Amino acid sequence: MDFENRQPREGINTTREHPLKRFMILLGSAAVLVTVLVVTLQLAGGWIARKIPFRYETMAIEQTSLELGSERPPAELVAWLNQLADKVSPGLELPADIEITVNYHHENVFNAFATIGGQLVFYRGLLTQMPNENALAMVMAHEIAHVLHRDPLAGLGGGLSSMLALATLTGQGGTGAAASLLNQTGLLTGVQFTRRMENNADTAALAAVNSVYGHINGADTLFVLTGAERDDSALPQWLERFASTHPLDGDRVRAIEKMAADAGYATTGKLTPLPAEYRQWLNED
Amino acid sequence: MLISNLEFLPGYKIKRHLGLVQGSSVRAKHVGRDLMATLKNIFGGELTAYTELLQDSREEATARLVEQATSIGANAVLNVRFSTSSIAAGAAEIFVYGTAVELEDD
Amino acid sequence: MIEVGIAVALVILGYIFGSAAERRHFKSIIKRERELNRLAAVATRFPPEDTAWRQQLVTGNVVIASDYFKTFTASLINIFGGKVTPFESLIDRARREAMLRMKADAQSLGAEYIFNVKYNTSRISQFGAGAIEVMAYGTALTPPE
Repeated sequence: MDFENRQPREGINTTREHPLKRFMILLGSAAVLVTVLVVTLQLAGGWIARKIPFRYETMAIEQTSLELGSERPPAELVAWLNQLADKVSPGLELPADIEITVNYHHENVFNAFATIGGQLVFYRGLLTQMPNENALAMVMAHEIAHVLHRDPLAGLGGGLSSMLALATLTGQGGTGAAASLLNQTGLLTGVQFTRRMENNADTAALAAVNSVYGHINGADTLFVLTGAERDDSALPQWLERFASTHPLDGDRVRAIEKMAADAGYATTGKLTPLPAEYRQWLNED
Repeated sequence: MLISNLEFLPGYKIKRHLGLVQGSSVRAKHVGRDLMATLKNIFGGELTAYTELLQDSREEATARLVEQATSIGANAVLNVRFSTSSIAAGAAEIFVYGTAVELEDD
Repeated sequence: MIEVGIAVALVILGYIFGSAAERRHFKSIIKRERELNRLAAVATRFPPEDTAWRQQLVTGNVVIASDYFKTFTASLINIFGGKVTPFESLIDRARREAMLRMKADAQSLGAEYIFNVKYNTSRISQFGAGAIEVMAYGTALTPPE
């Protein structure tokens, strides 16, 4: 028998293709896939949320027995906040079946939010900064507008289903970095939707404030305040504008000015003071 | 090209042994199929999509083995062995190797 | 945002160092394959019976880790399916290296042939793509003294 060892040609068991080329194509397609997926789910989430009757939201929040707000909030303050909600609600043409409940949280956080079932939460940190009723009414109308637009449910549905889809897509082993990169892409796509919700809520709130007070003086107070606070951001403005869940404060102030000019709202007018006991309520323990 | 897992082929004489040749192919299935497989894991049964994927992969590996054998002037590969291994999460490798030989009629 | 920065940095590092290491490794493999070429290794089980060969089991093994670029690309391929090209070269290197080490083992014994060569491949790390091991083994035939 004759034995020899011939060497086969190189490159039969490997693919001749520049690894970077394949990488770029894959990365691009993955980004497109994630974007399309999140956009579809957000749109579907929003669409379905608006189809679900509001009473299911109320039932859901009752089922969870979630504690919104502090345990023993100052009763007069909560009562007054709810009165304010009732005062601005007609301006938003709130349907009869949507009921708003305002909760107070005794914590120095500069925030207020709306969640499912028409529940609003106002933090002490935000309330202490309010100079007059008009400023607070704008915040209140903005949060009620979220409820009216069914944003809490849409955000929850779209957000949850996007998260689930992304986890399925990227959960197949490999590097955590690929997963986190695709998740970031998904988040960035998602915030485009939340920003649009914010803008729509601003528009509706401004109209409501105008119809209640006859002018929009003081409506931009919140954004002037937060804008001053967040001035020292490290990110360049264009990037922040693209990556934030909320529109930039400066942009919101300008948007309000533009809306007022377009709709012919009066920008000056008498500001309504807060109740005399307001500060005292906030300092109660 | 003759491929066999026998040592000797009846009716042929091995004129020359030309060494080892091999072919391999690494493939992954897409997320949709993975999802279906997860569902199938509840009920059991054949994962047709995976069967096809591995078969395609095996065909490619064999084609590469044949290409190697051709490149060194062999006309048969004997004593062929297949092996399958999972080399990364979600990626399976099919590997086939054997002795390249030059056969002539007995 | 920091996460993304780290990921990008790791992928770039993986690409630069990984592809340099792969080029070096292939170069060394091709050179050593030429040197050890006279030693025939076959999958056949029956050695020529005309000589009273000394028979010894010879082995060669290697564990090769994937670089971050390969692993990252592979996890993207996992979404769409298809050929996992980054791992093709990885496993080709591992297999040829294991074969060379087995041959070097046989060479040191003064062998002329290696019969019944078999490969064994396994994934030895569960984390990420981790690492793969290839072991080659066979029977070395040394002429009697």
